[in-house]
Amino acid sequence: MKDINIVIEICGSAGEGTISAGEITSRFMSSQGFEIMSFDSYPAEIRGFGKCVAHTRISSRQIYSPGKLADVLIALNDKHAISQLSTLKENGILIYDSQPARPHKEDESVAGWAKPGMISYGIPLNMLAHKASGNARGMNMVALGALAALFYVDKSPFTDSIKTRYAKKKQIVIDSNVNSFLEGYNWTKENIKKIDPHSFKDITLPKPKEKLIINGNQLVARAALDADLSFYAGYPITPATKIMEILSRELPKHGGVLLQTEDEISAIGAVIGAGFGGKRAMTATSGPGFALMTEFTGLSVMAEVPAVIINSQRAGPSTGIPTKTEQSDFNSAVLGGTGDCPRIVLAPADTKSCYEATVLALYLAEKYQTLVVVLLDFFLSNSIRNINIPEKPSSEYLDANIAPDKNDFKDYQRYKITKNGISPRAIPGTPGGMFFSTGLEHDAYGRPNYSEAGHTAMTQKRFAKFNTVLTEAPAPEISANDRDEFDIGVISWGSSAGAAHEAVMSAQKEGINASSFSSMMLSPFPEKALIDFSDKCKKILIPELNFSGQFAGFATRILKRSVERLNFITGRPMASEDILQKMREM
Amino acid sequence: MEVIESAYLDEKIETVRGIDFLQYRSQDLPTWCPGCGYFGIVDAFYKACRELNLKQENIVTVSGIGCSGRTPIFINSYGFHTLHGRSIPVASGLKLAREDLTVFAVAGDGDALGIGGGHLPHVARKNINITFLLFDNSIYGLTKGQSSSTTPYEMRTNSHPVGNPDTPLNPVKLALAYGASFVARGYAGDPRGLKQIIKEATLHQGFSFVQILTPCVTFDKENKTWKNLKEKVHDLNLRNEEKNMETAMRMAENEPYGVGTFFQDKERPHYQEILRNLNKAD
Ligand SMILES: Cc1ncc(C[n+]2csc(CCOP(=O)(O)OP(=O)(O)O)c2C)c(N)n1
Ligand code: SF4
Ligand SMILES: [Mg+2]
Repeated sequence: MKDINIVIEICGSAGEGTISAGEITSRFMSSQGFEIMSFDSYPAEIRGFGKCVAHTRISSRQIYSPGKLADVLIALNDKHAISQLSTLKENGILIYDSQPARPHKEDESVAGWAKPGMISYGIPLNMLAHKASGNARGMNMVALGALAALFYVDKSPFTDSIKTRYAKKKQIVIDSNVNSFLEGYNWTKENIKKIDPHSFKDITLPKPKEKLIINGNQLVARAALDADLSFYAGYPITPATKIMEILSRELPKHGGVLLQTEDEISAIGAVIGAGFGGKRAMTATSGPGFALMTEFTGLSVMAEVPAVIINSQRAGPSTGIPTKTEQSDFNSAVLGGTGDCPRIVLAPADTKSCYEATVLALYLAEKYQTLVVVLLDFFLSNSIRNINIPEKPSSEYLDANIAPDKNDFKDYQRYKITKNGISPRAIPGTPGGMFFSTGLEHDAYGRPNYSEAGHTAMTQKRFAKFNTVLTEAPAPEISANDRDEFDIGVISWGSSAGAAHEAVMSAQKEGINASSFSSMMLSPFPEKALIDFSDKCKKILIPELNFSGQFAGFATRILKRSVERLNFITGRPMASEDILQKMREM
Repeated sequence: MEVIESAYLDEKIETVRGIDFLQYRSQDLPTWCPGCGYFGIVDAFYKACRELNLKQENIVTVSGIGCSGRTPIFINSYGFHTLHGRSIPVASGLKLAREDLTVFAVAGDGDALGIGGGHLPHVARKNINITFLLFDNSIYGLTKGQSSSTTPYEMRTNSHPVGNPDTPLNPVKLALAYGASFVARGYAGDPRGLKQIIKEATLHQGFSFVQILTPCVTFDKENKTWKNLKEKVHDLNLRNEEKNMETAMRMAENEPYGVGTFFQDKERPHYQEILRNLNKAD
C-alpha cells in the first residue's frame, strides 16, 4: 500500500470558515486512521478581514513536524492566497474560485500568480455555495467537496464529519453545509479532469482506536485535572490563556478553585500560598508574565514551597510577537532569576508529552518542594494532533509529599539537612509540625540565619535535590543508538525535537550517518547522557527557534566543543526540511 | 514607652490570673528596637488568638518584608515570611486552597500601599476571607527611614532630607473605596482595644482590613511618635447602626486618629461562598 503524506492549506479571510474547514478535514482524516497535525494562523486583530490559514498535515505514518511546504492550497480568498503561494510546493495544487462574486481585475486572481509546474483547479466555489444554500457562506464546504472528489476520498464519512461538527446547530445549518459539500463534490467529479497524482483510493487503514483531537493547552489542562490539581491562579496572556479558560470550567467540578488575579505576581503568589497549604497548584503564562513572576520563583526555591508555572513562549523580548512561536525563554527559565537558584525545567517535545510533562511537573514540585517550569511555545499550545487517550497517572504520582513522622516531630526541623535534600514537610493544620518559612537564608528550623556555614549547607541542600530529580527524568530520546559513531548528531529541545528527529530519519535514508538527541528535562540537564551522545558524533548540529542559540550556548558549556547552530526567528515552527538541508551541507 | 510597659504589666497580671496566651508566643524574642510599637501589636494578637480559642496549628500568618515582616517569627503557629509587598496574594491563595485555616496577612505601610498597593483593591473587591493587619508607622523601618506612602507631606526623611514632596494616602479611605467588607483602625499603644478589633476582624467572614497606628521609634522623631499618638488617638465609639459607608467615609476623612470599627457589611458573601453559589447556579 502506498503512503499518504500530504499537507493541505486552506487560506481565507477571518469569518469565511477557513479554520472550521481545516478542523473538519483533520477530524475526518483522523477518523479514517490517519495521523494529523494541524496549525492555524489568525490575524493579530480580533475583528476585520485579516488572513487566516488552516495548515494540516495528513499521513499514514507517524509524523513529527507540521511540514514546511503545502501540497495543496485551497484559496477561499484570492488576495490572501496570493501571499500564501510562497509556501506551496513547486508542483503543488491550487484550488481556487473560478467564478468569484465580483469578477477579478487582472492580477487579482490567485490563479494568475501560480507558477508554472503548479496545477490549478478552478471550481466555481461562490456560485455552487449560492446554489446549495442561497449564500456564499458554504464556500468552504464546496471547496472540501472538490478536494474529496479530486483525491478519491469517500464522500459519505466526510459528510458525517461535517454533521458532527455542526451537530449542536440548527438543522438548516447542517443541511446547507452538507449540501454545499455535495455540490462541490458532484460538480468536480463531472467537470474537472484530474492531472495530479494524489489519491486516497484503496487506502484503508486499520480502524483507529478512539483518538483525542487536541492541542497542547487543552492537554495541559486535562493533565492537571488528572493529576489532582486543586488550585489555579492566572492572568490572561496569549498563548496560555486557554489553559485558564478550560480550568475555569472544569476545576470547580473537581472541587478545586480558580482565581483570576490582578497580575502575574499575584498569580504566582497565590499558587505559592496554596502550595504552602499542601495543595497542588499551578499557573500558566507567557514571557512577559513569567518575567513578572521572577521574584516569586526564587521564593518557591528558597522557602521550598511547591509551585508549577507553565510558560508558553511567544516570540521576542518584551511584549514581542504574541502570536508567533519561538524558543527564546530557555535562558530565562533555566538560568533566570536571582542567586544560585536550582529549579526544575521541563520542555515537552510534542503535543502528547504536554500531558506527561504536566503530570510530572505537579509530582516533582510536590515531592521536591520546589519550582517546576514547563516550557511550551505558541506552536505546542495551539497545534492540534490526534493522539491516543493518555493513561491517567498512577497513585504514586498523585500523592508525593514526604511528610514528617513521629520521630521528626520530636524536634521538628522543617529544613532539616538530608542527603537527598528533601526535608519532611508538615502541612499547616498539623499539630506539632508548626514552622516558619522565609525567603531569607535560614537554619534547619526555618529561622533567619546568615552564617557562612549555614548558607553553604542550605545551598548545597537545595542543589542536592538535583541528583535524585535526574533519576526521575524521562530518558533522553535518541533516534539511533545502534552504532559507535555518527557523522552528525542533532541535539534539540522542546517543539523543535520532532523536526530534528524527522530530519535525521530522512537523512539516514539519503545515506547520511546521523542520530538525534533530545531531553524533556532541561534543568537539571542529563549532562552525562549528552556527553556520551556527543562523544559518538563527529559533528554536532543544534537547531532551535531563537536568534542567539540559547540552548546551543548551554550545551557547548557542557560539551566543551564547538557545535553547528541553526537558528530561525521566522515565527513558524521548526521545519525538518531546513534541518535536513543543513545536514546535507555539513 | 509607658504604654508598652503597662502592656507588659497587664500581661504579667493576666498570666498570674492563669489566663495563658503564651502558647501563641514563639521562643524567639522579637528583634525589634526597644520601644517599637510592634511589640504592642503582637501582644494584642496573642491575646486575640487566646480569646478566640484558635488552635495554633490552624493559624497561618503570612507577612511581607520589613520590620513588620518579621512578625510570624514571633508567633507560635505556621508562618510564612514572603516577599516585599506580597503577603496578600500568598495569603489569598492559601485561604482559597485551605478554607479550614485562619489566615492573617501582615504588611508594613511600604508593603501594603507602596510596592504591593496593586493587590489591595482586588482582595477587597473579591472579599477573600482573610484578616489584613497593616502595621502603619508611616516610614520604611527596615531600610532605615525613607518616606513611605503614608509619610506626611513635607516631613523630612532619609530619602527626602528637605521634605517629602508626596501627598500621603489615607488607608482607611482606600479600603472603604475598594469595597472591603470590614474596615477598622487600631492603635499599638492600646493592646486591649486592638485585641478587640483583631478579634472582630478575625470573626468577620470576608476581607477584614485593620490599619494599626504604630510608632517607629528609631526613624520617626516627629510624626507617629508615642507622644503624639498618645495625645491624638481616641476612640471613634461608633454604634453598630452608624457603621455604614457614608459615616465611615466622613470619619475616614475627618478622624485620622480615631480608632475602632468604621464599617462592616455582614451580609456580603465572601469569595468562596460566591464561587460556590455561582457554580451551583451554573
Ligand atoms: C523587591 C524589593 N524591593 C526593595 C526591598 C527592600 N525593602 C525591604 S523592607 C522595605 C520597606 C519596609 O517598609 P514597610 O513596608 O513600611 O515595613 P516596616 O519596616 O516599616 O515594618 C524595603 C524597601 C525588598 N526587600 N524587596
Ligand atoms: S526600625 Fe522602627 S519599625 Fe523597625 S523595629 Fe525599629 S522601631 Fe520598629
Ligand atoms: Mg513602615
